[in-house]
Amino acid sequence: MECKTINPAARRYMHRFSVTMLLYALFIVLAVWVFVHFRPTGPLAYALAVLPAIPCIGMLAVFGLYLVEEKDEFQRFIGVQAMLWGIGGTLTVTTAWGFLENFVHVPHLQLILILPIFWLFFGISLSVLLARYK
Amino acid sequence: MKNRLRVLRAERKWSQADLAERLEVSRQSVNAIETGKYDPSLPLAFKLARLFGSTIEAIFSDEN
Repeated sequence: MECKTINPAARRYMHRFSVTMLLYALFIVLAVWVFVHFRPTGPLAYALAVLPAIPCIGMLAVFGLYLVEEKDEFQRFIGVQAMLWGIGGTLTVTTAWGFLENFVHVPHLQLILILPIFWLFFGISLSVLLARYK
Repeated sequence: MKNRLRVLRAERKWSQADLAERLEVSRQSVNAIETGKYDPSLPLAFKLARLFGSTIEAIFSDEN
């Protein structure tokens, strides 16, 4: 995953991830635009509301594909570790925030922020791990 | 796990990047194995041994 010596699997991963990110942004804009202009109801409203979540599954799926395609076992090890730190960090922060909401009434955390929080933890972990094994 | 990779590499005047290329892994991977921060899988250990014309036991040691 090092930029200077990026291998084909990492390159494919970055390309696929960019596509899912683009779809995520497009679907959010589309959903907002349709809701603002047409105020859909019923099944269409539900389908549109969950539309941006589909690329989120895609983001995780392309990471899974990367792990399958990456031939360098050490890079896979780094990727899996970053993923675990991402999951652990997200679970810890959101659980702690949930208790804070219940006991000291901090502002409500929107559930749609969970994915960005996960990628934030993932990104930080990946950077730390890459620096550690530089 | 301790290993003799640095010595074996130096004997052949290979850089970490040279060894990485021969093993088809990243330079980071070679560095992590060489410094004992990462223990390679059995297939990679065999690949290393074959590359140096040696055995896994002659390259890696589990003694502290």
